[in-house]
Amino acid sequence: MKILSPENLLIFLKDLSADFDLRLPVLLSDGSRSIGSFDEGAISLMGGALSAKPTSLFFPQEGLMFCNQGDNFTPPPLPAKPLFVVGFTPRDLLCLAFIDRFFATGLTDDLYFRQRDGAIICAVSGYCGRDGALIPPSDKEGDIEFIFDRTNWLILAYSVRGREIVSAILTEAPPDALAGIIDAVSQFDRSDELLLQQGSRLLADGLVPDSFWSEIADRCILCTGCNLVCPTCTCFGVQDWRYVDKMERSRIWDSCQLEGFMREAGGHNPMPTEGERTRRRIHHKLAADKTRWGEISCFLCGRCDAVCPTGIGIVSVVREMVARFAPIITLV
Amino acid sequence: MKKSLTLCPYCGVGCMLHLITDNGRLVGVEPGSTHPVSRGSLCVKGWNAFGFVHHPDRLTRPLVRRSGRLEETSWDDALETVVRRLKSVQDQHGLDSLMFASSAKATNEENYLLMKLARGVFGTNNIDHCARLCHSSTVTALAECFGSGAMTGSIDCIDSTELIFVIGSNTTEQHPLIGSRIINAVRRGAKLIVADNRNIRLARHCTMHLRHRNGSDVALLNSMMHVIIAEGLSDSEFIAARTENYPALAAAVAEWPPDRGGALTGLMPEEITSAARTFAAARSAMIVYSMGITQHSHGVDNVRCCAALAMLTGNIGAPGKGVAPLRGQNNVQGGCDMGALPDLYSGYQKASDPVVREKFAKAWGVARLPELPGLPLTHAMNAAAKGDIRAMFIMGENPLLSDPDQAHARKALENLDFLVVQDIFLTETAALADVLLPAACFAEKDGTFTNTERRIQLLQKAVEPPGEALPDWKIICELAARAGFSGMKYNNTAEIMTEIAALTPSYAGVTHERLKPFGLQWPCPDSNHPGTPVLHQGSFTRGKGLFSPVNYRPSAELPDEDYPFILTTGRTYFHWHTGTMTRRTNLLDREERHSFVELHPEDAVRLDVRNLEQVEISSRRGAIRAQARVTDMVIPGVIFMPFHFVEGAANALTLNTLDPESHIPEFKVCAAAVRRVV
Repeated sequence: MKILSPENLLIFLKDLSADFDLRLPVLLSDGSRSIGSFDEGAISLMGGALSAKPTSLFFPQEGLMFCNQGDNFTPPPLPAKPLFVVGFTPRDLLCLAFIDRFFATGLTDDLYFRQRDGAIICAVSGYCGRDGALIPPSDKEGDIEFIFDRTNWLILAYSVRGREIVSAILTEAPPDALAGIIDAVSQFDRSDELLLQQGSRLLADGLVPDSFWSEIADRCILCTGCNLVCPTCTCFGVQDWRYVDKMERSRIWDSCQLEGFMREAGGHNPMPTEGERTRRRIHHKLAADKTRWGEISCFLCGRCDAVCPTGIGIVSVVREMVARFAPIITLV
Repeated sequence: MKKSLTLCPYCGVGCMLHLITDNGRLVGVEPGSTHPVSRGSLCVKGWNAFGFVHHPDRLTRPLVRRSGRLEETSWDDALETVVRRLKSVQDQHGLDSLMFASSAKATNEENYLLMKLARGVFGTNNIDHCARLCHSSTVTALAECFGSGAMTGSIDCIDSTELIFVIGSNTTEQHPLIGSRIINAVRRGAKLIVADNRNIRLARHCTMHLRHRNGSDVALLNSMMHVIIAEGLSDSEFIAARTENYPALAAAVAEWPPDRGGALTGLMPEEITSAARTFAAARSAMIVYSMGITQHSHGVDNVRCCAALAMLTGNIGAPGKGVAPLRGQNNVQGGCDMGALPDLYSGYQKASDPVVREKFAKAWGVARLPELPGLPLTHAMNAAAKGDIRAMFIMGENPLLSDPDQAHARKALENLDFLVVQDIFLTETAALADVLLPAACFAEKDGTFTNTERRIQLLQKAVEPPGEALPDWKIICELAARAGFSGMKYNNTAEIMTEIAALTPSYAGVTHERLKPFGLQWPCPDSNHPGTPVLHQGSFTRGKGLFSPVNYRPSAELPDEDYPFILTTGRTYFHWHTGTMTRRTNLLDREERHSFVELHPEDAVRLDVRNLEQVEISSRRGAIRAQARVTDMVIPGVIFMPFHFVEGAANALTLNTLDPESHIPEFKVCAAAVRRVV
């Protein structure tokens, strides 16, 4: 385990720019924190999860699939240098692992892995959450992790490449440097994780009536933000643009909250009501993915709850759902 | 990859967002997480705001019509042709044979410059923009009653009010981030009254839903005021201290007991009484309205009633209170503020006032400025159809789809000797142009937009325009120079704002630098002024608030045996106006692909029409086809159509009858027939 002061950590990161395309949380001119590069704003490692998902570096909102000119089909260019991405929280890493598996299963998604392969993933945790709140460190996920102990950054490497990179840091941390954080983590409030488990059970057991979903859907203004900020949402639509001299095919994030998402060419829609589509969003994460992948695909990153203009992000909805329908389980 | 903090190009809410650019190409959007209006959220259009920018249909070179065909040409040739032909028309037919249509999609700086070009260079007050079609009724009536035609408070007022009365606004679809605030207000305990006979989303959250007849707003509001006065629920202290002409209002609404109001509106008298009591009982209340109020042949009267109801109950001039006309376009407030209006200079300074003209003439370095008021856009189209307007310069508008009575609009445009269109796509209107000037879109230029709460905000360039396209302001400056005018040379849009501030009292304290990051709400009269979130505190802009009583006038064309339905028109959530941008945005276009008409199930049964079948909708102006959407969104006897679609254009059916004062067309009511297409 290495240790660096905040100033020296920045120097260390800047030095990496020679070999990597470095992306890290920056403070934009309006006070938003976002993944960017050194020249975009002050580095902002403090503040917790970024409002946009960092996985968009590998799967952007709109991404070129190929360009066609005559008989030539050109894929998007490979990165000039491998990405080095700082700013994933440990929960974001769980999301990343989930979509890594998703995009690698069956037909491998070449477009995703063109960006993802070779990228160094660096998590941030410790007392660097909002207002200095604790973000529990990861379970050795990603390549490297920066853990803030309120004064310095403790640096751990988990992968071969991570260890190579971190070996350049000479200052070793005291052996017990993590003890305080580990102790604090044992006290960490895990109630939202339990809440999701309860919600998952309610859905799997079919104990949530359709009327609940209609009620939640009434509050939805169909902004699609919940899907677009979700690191485990992977749905996209395809767009072909024909220019005079070429054709470009791109893919664009889509949303299961939209009526057109499931609509068939003839107009029939197997998911015709807003209530059904709202149910789908939550059910997919908490029940369907659990059946398919063995785990709930919400890792409580908090983004959909933050972006939703009417307060029906996943945690809010599940909290309401559990409060109203969980007693039924007890009775049963 | 970089992020540019800029503004959404769609509605008047004015959400700020970051456009994400990778190698000169937009690849996505991130909401501005700290913005006071959008607060880290966006609606579906905002999330897809980048989606049309690189579309293959973008205009990239100037086009000029030769032998009936639009052909590519150089900027020099296009600009020279425009100036020569416009001058030639004026030489032959007089200065006022020319009309300039500015754009609520363009920046404040561009609207100001087009106004300056029309008045200062071409010597005509014939300049207007699409505010004529949306909130001209508001500008007329609220200026009369309050002294200022803008939203009286801020969007934040929704967070603290006790009651929101939404009348003629489908807020969650047309101003989604304001709609969401209203939903949140209801969740914290605020009451919501919705007056709209469509079953809009907000109706699912309301305390009362008043499904009154189209065009009966005056009857409803007068009856509500009748109850408030009759039951002693009015704010007599406010009325005495802050208003004038109350006796006239009291006398007028005395004629409107709820049974009379009920008979005209189709509501139960008890519903009106209950709504009035609920409204008056709130310690703070807001009236939120939009085009359901303004787009009538009595639109100004509708707004007068809204203003009167607010004053009668003391609901104005404090946080959590007020009259909130939700401005439609991203910069329709700014278009008005900048004087892209036939009778007003920037800051609503009267063109008829010689002192105002003298001030602008001196600043612009011109000998004289035109005195007679110009033509409103709607009258200009009529004048073009008659041959009195001979040339038109249209910047960023598409009247062939947005104006009433499409056949009339086509006739007017085709009748012109010379038509210039400056736009980002080959719109239906642009296809008729003699010269077509390719413009930069919102993502490709700097400037400012002013949102519905009077917040002047910075638009910042993210990417280069395609091909040879230029920002509107640069094109206007080039035209001025070629017309021999030396007073329109700027290095950037900040310099234009400096000139605007010097000439416009309500913008006097505005500079681009001061607008970072989240803008200022006008009036901002000096460089230290923090802006004004709530107007009319202490006293109205005009001094005392004026009660302006009105009587009910029916809509111009009511259903009859031949045309038994009321057709009301509007927009959908996924498209913007004539679809120029949204129909070229993949996800938005996917959601709403077809022109449709909403038809109540009872009517559908009677007409033997099934959901999604093609029907023919006709009026005295024309006939179109669209997909039937059988739904209880509408009441029996009323059909609704959006006007986005060139195929099945609702405005082929609408009526070119205007409000006599605001000159707004009656888009919300005309008589129509529906039949199944066999």
